[in-house]
Amino acid sequence: MAIIFSVIREDTFWKILLSVHFMLALVLLAALTLQVVTALMPARQVAGGFVDRGPIPAASYATLIVVVYLVEALFGAWIYIKYRTYVRIPMEELRHWWTVGGFDFKEHTISMGVGLLPAYWYFWQQPASTEHAGVRKWLTVFLALGVWYGLIIGHVANYFRGVGS
Amino acid sequence: MTQTLDAGGRFSQFDSTRATGAPTSTTQMGEKFGTFAVTFGIAFTLGYTVFEALNWPLFTYMPAVGRTYFWLHRPLSGEGPPMYWYGWIVTSAINAFVIGAIATIVPGHWLRRAAVFFCVLAALWPAALAALRIYIVGWATFDADFLNSVWVPAGPALVGAAVITYYVPSRWVERLWTSWLLLVPIGGLGVLGYSLLQQWFLR
Repeated sequence: MAIIFSVIREDTFWKILLSVHFMLALVLLAALTLQVVTALMPARQVAGGFVDRGPIPAASYATLIVVVYLVEALFGAWIYIKYRTYVRIPMEELRHWWTVGGFDFKEHTISMGVGLLPAYWYFWQQPASTEHAGVRKWLTVFLALGVWYGLIIGHVANYFRGVGS
Repeated sequence: MTQTLDAGGRFSQFDSTRATGAPTSTTQMGEKFGTFAVTFGIAFTLGYTVFEALNWPLFTYMPAVGRTYFWLHRPLSGEGPPMYWYGWIVTSAINAFVIGAIATIVPGHWLRRAAVFFCVLAALWPAALAALRIYIVGWATFDADFLNSVWVPAGPALVGAAVITYYVPSRWVERLWTSWLLLVPIGGLGVLGYSLLQQWFLR
């Protein structure tokens, strides 16, 4: 870290990191929300051997989501150092208990999501199969809800005191 | 987007090879990874809940002073706040990886039964502990404080989990297998959320 701070100011560095974290969250949110919408849409038999499944993303799309989710979680874990020392302490001193508790719950939600990624990826390798359609759909919904919650509570915490402020 | 039914071609191939009793090495690899992935998901989310609830991190990071300690470390004066979250995640990941790897060499029906056993145990153990604590505080007519230990309800919880696992019909065991991937994290978030409720939200 000392090497980085010799090149760039510390507060600027954390601001950049937080901005990247936020932008990745938006990308992940958009991708997962789109996938949830398509997974929740029922497939229609059109004609002959064709099935119209709507814009179901391919297996590679799930791979992209897994990669972005992991990178995003790593960025979050990195920024968490600053949150723990610089943001959370005044948060507790000013008795913002709901924000502290809400952020703790975000840690748990995202951690659970990390654990489910291999299964999520596996079930999306056969997007047209009906065998695991239910678990595939609800795993995607679970991950999407977790990311939505993470973005909202992250924004609330940043509003309280952004790590670069 | 319109897809032909052949979009799931790989699946069709899997089914046909399975039906003829001649699985290819690719199929076996895919099935093994599927077993690993499902087991990893269940073990990780279950482990994370347990390790967080019991506060068993593999290491503790002290960000203010940049020090890392093995296992649980209570901060000394001037060390600043401790960070256990990294430790819980790493413990859960190692635990889940090992269990997932073992799962790939265990027969499928045993694995699914084992999943039922551990998930039921994970529900019964804290429930029995909570019941015991209610009894100690509100009902006991003698000094029952010696019963206030996480290990006291372990025996009844193990027996209860074994009995339930034995009597659950095979059909249910099969249906529950992938459902655990949702039941465990949702249950885990319920448990962890409840502890946060007491710690922060009802303050």
